[in-house]
Amino acid sequence: MAEMWISMGPQHPMTHGLWTLKVKVDGETVVDTEPDLGYIHRGVEKICESRDFTQITTYCDRLCYASANTWSHSYIYAVEDLLEVEVPERAEYIRLIAVELQRIASHLMWLGAYGPDIGNLSVMVWCLREREMMMDLLQELGGSRMHYNFPRVGGVKRDLPHGFAQRTRAKVSLFLNRIQEYEALFDESTIFLIRTQGVGYSKPEEMVNHGVTGPNLRAGGVNYDIRTAHPYSVYSELDWEPPVERPSIKGADCYDRYRIRVEEMRVSAMMVLEALDKIPRGADTYHEPGDPAILAKAPSRSPEGASGFHHFEDSRGESMFYLAGGGEGRGKMPYRVSIRSPMFITIPYASKCMVGYKVADIPAIMGSFDPCIGETDR
Amino acid sequence: MDNAHDILPSKDLDLTVTISPPKGIWPEDIVLGRVLNLQDGFGQMQPALEGLFSATMICTVVFTTMMLTMLPIPYIERKFIGRLMDRLGATTTLRSLWIGESGVTAGEWWNQLPFGMGAPIGWLNKTLNSIWGNDHHLEAVSRVNNRGYHGYWFLLPGFFQAFADFTKFAGKEHIVPKEADRPVYEVAPVIIISTTVLVFAFIPFGPHFYVSSPELSVIFMMAIFGVAPLGVFFAGWSSNNKYTLIGGMRSAAQLTAYEIPLLITVLGVCVISGSFNLIEIVDFQAEESNVWNLFMLPLGAVLFLITMIAEVERIPFDMPEAEAELVEGWWTEYGGMRWGLMFAAEYQRCYAACLLFALFFLGGWEAPFQSTMESLPIVGGSLEFLLSLIPGIVWVLIKAWALFAVFVWIRASLHRVRTDQILEFGWQWLLPLSIANLAVAMFLRVWVWDGSWGIVAPVVMILSGIVGLVILVVDEDKEALESMRRPYSTYAVTKAYPGRHPDSKLEDLQRQYTSYSAVKTASSVSPSDTEAGT
Amino acid sequence: MGKVVPTSNQKSAAETMASALSSMDGVDAVVSERKNGTSPRNIVSVDCSNKNWRPLAVCMKVEHGVDYCSMITGIHWPEGSPDKNWEVIYHFMRMGVTDPPVVDGMVQPIVKDPSKLEGKDIPLEIEVRIALPETREPTVASVQDIWVGADWNEKETWDLVGIDFEGHEGMRRVLQPHETPVGFHPLQKQHKLRYHDFEEMYDDVQGFRRKPSDTGKIK
Repeated sequence: MAEMWISMGPQHPMTHGLWTLKVKVDGETVVDTEPDLGYIHRGVEKICESRDFTQITTYCDRLCYASANTWSHSYIYAVEDLLEVEVPERAEYIRLIAVELQRIASHLMWLGAYGPDIGNLSVMVWCLREREMMMDLLQELGGSRMHYNFPRVGGVKRDLPHGFAQRTRAKVSLFLNRIQEYEALFDESTIFLIRTQGVGYSKPEEMVNHGVTGPNLRAGGVNYDIRTAHPYSVYSELDWEPPVERPSIKGADCYDRYRIRVEEMRVSAMMVLEALDKIPRGADTYHEPGDPAILAKAPSRSPEGASGFHHFEDSRGESMFYLAGGGEGRGKMPYRVSIRSPMFITIPYASKCMVGYKVADIPAIMGSFDPCIGETDR
Repeated sequence: MDNAHDILPSKDLDLTVTISPPKGIWPEDIVLGRVLNLQDGFGQMQPALEGLFSATMICTVVFTTMMLTMLPIPYIERKFIGRLMDRLGATTTLRSLWIGESGVTAGEWWNQLPFGMGAPIGWLNKTLNSIWGNDHHLEAVSRVNNRGYHGYWFLLPGFFQAFADFTKFAGKEHIVPKEADRPVYEVAPVIIISTTVLVFAFIPFGPHFYVSSPELSVIFMMAIFGVAPLGVFFAGWSSNNKYTLIGGMRSAAQLTAYEIPLLITVLGVCVISGSFNLIEIVDFQAEESNVWNLFMLPLGAVLFLITMIAEVERIPFDMPEAEAELVEGWWTEYGGMRWGLMFAAEYQRCYAACLLFALFFLGGWEAPFQSTMESLPIVGGSLEFLLSLIPGIVWVLIKAWALFAVFVWIRASLHRVRTDQILEFGWQWLLPLSIANLAVAMFLRVWVWDGSWGIVAPVVMILSGIVGLVILVVDEDKEALESMRRPYSTYAVTKAYPGRHPDSKLEDLQRQYTSYSAVKTASSVSPSDTEAGT
Repeated sequence: MGKVVPTSNQKSAAETMASALSSMDGVDAVVSERKNGTSPRNIVSVDCSNKNWRPLAVCMKVEHGVDYCSMITGIHWPEGSPDKNWEVIYHFMRMGVTDPPVVDGMVQPIVKDPSKLEGKDIPLEIEVRIALPETREPTVASVQDIWVGADWNEKETWDLVGIDFEGHEGMRRVLQPHETPVGFHPLQKQHKLRYHDFEEMYDDVQGFRRKPSDTGKIK
């Protein structure tokens, strides 16, 4: 059969978002790929130039809607770098809890979408059911189920609600048991193993050169995590280590990338439990919103010529905001907001990974890199 | 008794045809004499008409029975998958009592009470509101959310969803892609649907409940069953769509690859039963051998199951219509009634596969242990009478539906196998196994069968089947797996722990896991544990 | 308690690198300490001139092991000084990631203890700024062949801001449609946000008060 270009997308049930993947196939083998992004380019960077620092937080939630808390926190850390704000420790603990719960929810969403990609339809409902537990907790914290607008410049919006610690402990402990069920469903299924092992090899040096970080990199056998290498927040106070996978000789395949995320869910769950124990003043004290224990006073105008940026470990890699402050002349709005999305860089790399495999491997490989197009297109 | 046959045909009722070509071409008239004698023709028409009417009636009866008994199939599928997806284990059920809800998510205050203490209050509230008409059962939103509305809790809630679906398909527009090859495009669904329905002509639902039962019914049926791949390929190619082309090719390859093990397995069954007629196969199990073929040919049963799942393109073998890459595969461009009928045809093929399994291996219309029960010393006669009250079709349907539940179970729990892996599996594993099965069947029939199976043969076959199952199911040695290298292969799972490296001990890591789950759920945080001033 | 890179190690590594880079022509590197958050971060902040960018990039990659290009930002400063009308800011990280070794046919994952890293292994954040004078066609040398991660970042910067990258192969629009008019780069400051402070939905539902898109232009 002659070589032909197939266009997967933009309307496609598999692509995890709105983008096009043009694939050149020779029979069933992929020969070349070309990703096409930009379908949901909303111009967030331009919009943010005429918004206050506090108004931009809501936009950042909507960048990656599956992992909203991590993105708004990423932005807030950059703003605090720009305005040189010191955040109280209790607020940092609350932020950590929110971010790690969001990381669990994001990975569950990924797992729930990855199962149907490989063909297993039941696991989607199971993962979404667990995700409901996490979303209930995040709803108590942030007020809504998806776009929380939770952090503020200098702290957080509100404190842990009454009984939150007890409910979180119960739900997270339950979740730690449920992970074993998912592992049973996937790891003990020969069909899953033959679909994902040996497919989509990627090596860490090549990944780093291409700009891929996060769980995709740790699946390659390297324990690089921004939370430990460039420490921020209170990650240094907790007893944890980033999970690493032992890949196969040719590199990390889809199975490794699946396993690393399962282990990340475990580690995040344990981090949340530990943070609830270690939070200063205890998890059951409640401070009113605006209390200095959870929100520090922050300047609303940036110094002249200042800039701020912060590397942040998002569920999918390293996300970063770069803010160029305009100083007194511009008031409360930043001069330029530049957003670094891990998926924007990973999707071209994942497309390169697909060359040489079969058409049926495309959803397996693409799904294993966990694309989220909201952050890609900004 | 037939008047027409008593009278000799008369000559003046002959119909002859005379052709007069132009004189230049042929000099004489051409007379085609006695094309038809009206009396004779009428005389031959009556038995023919009788035959036609009786055939029509019996076809209608059997087809109606088939369609009516097929209605539970989508119902089983939907409900079973729903139950599997909503699976609530003991862990969740118990822990959800303890967790309770918070005010944010609970809704009503009684749901926040632990251990479900508020459930009676909730029920009372709901019932009183219903009695006085303050509920929303008839509203559109409520009917959509609760599709069991049409139906009672004891009588198939949600049963009529299938009718609604089918009506929706019937009402849709027939869209043909512009560059599609129109004749082939229209013919493809016809081939698929007609061959599928035609298969049911040969399937007996009961000992006297069939359309036709020729001597070689099994061969004919398998031949018709195997025409559907042609229709699938036509559909995939003619739609002028790269997706459907790939889907059609995959489908054609897969179905062809699994036809052969299927046919050889069926051949094994026919060999062991001594006939190619489906009714005689069932009678062989019911009357002559009194042992279901499942126990004589366990390998054959498993092979039949696997190849049939591949033939009807269900998960794990549904790569041709995999939603993940190919939207709907070779069906993509079809809409409306054609799609609805092809969708129904897929379920009919499934149903045919289940029925065939029930007839070939599960003894068809025989009750389990029927012959044993009937030959019991004292109660045998009354048991025989009781069993004869239940029509055979009931047993056939029960077995077929139970097997369909197994199909659904497999669908809900397994992943999709990739096309080249499917083909590899079919050609490299199933084909040799089916030939081995045929050899075993031939051996059994030729050397072991002497009017009955005796006691040794079934026991040996059952035991060997169980041994094979145990060997396949039992996990390999875990330690060997962990230390083995990870080739491009199906096994060797190495689990990653956080920070796993040669220095850390397994016990420390396991202790890390258990410490949180064990300690934290057992106790709640009491105010004295946290000091407000710290 | 968790193992992280201590601040002092980071600071000394940053100072080493800054002094090494400052010795290059046209490059001025300092260590900037960011004080927000719970632990200060020491980043290497480099100011480079346009013509020295390529040698600096090669030096960073080869000698200092900077292996990861995180983001490339382009900023348009129409009211800036004549020297700084455009600015390109690169963010790099030195991660020290290498392929894990294969021992006895099994891959041994590299698990580094961040608190024990030394010298060139210490992860660092690097920021490089290049200021461009006033020009209609700002151009910077491309580093696509040095770090592949810069590839799509450069495409995005050109697409949205208009800064061209010399030597970049396959420059195309990535976030905007392929048929966007030539020369249209929305993040330049002369393009204003439409309908800011104007709630179209409530105030002018049918768009009667909208002006044509080429209002104000000399025709």
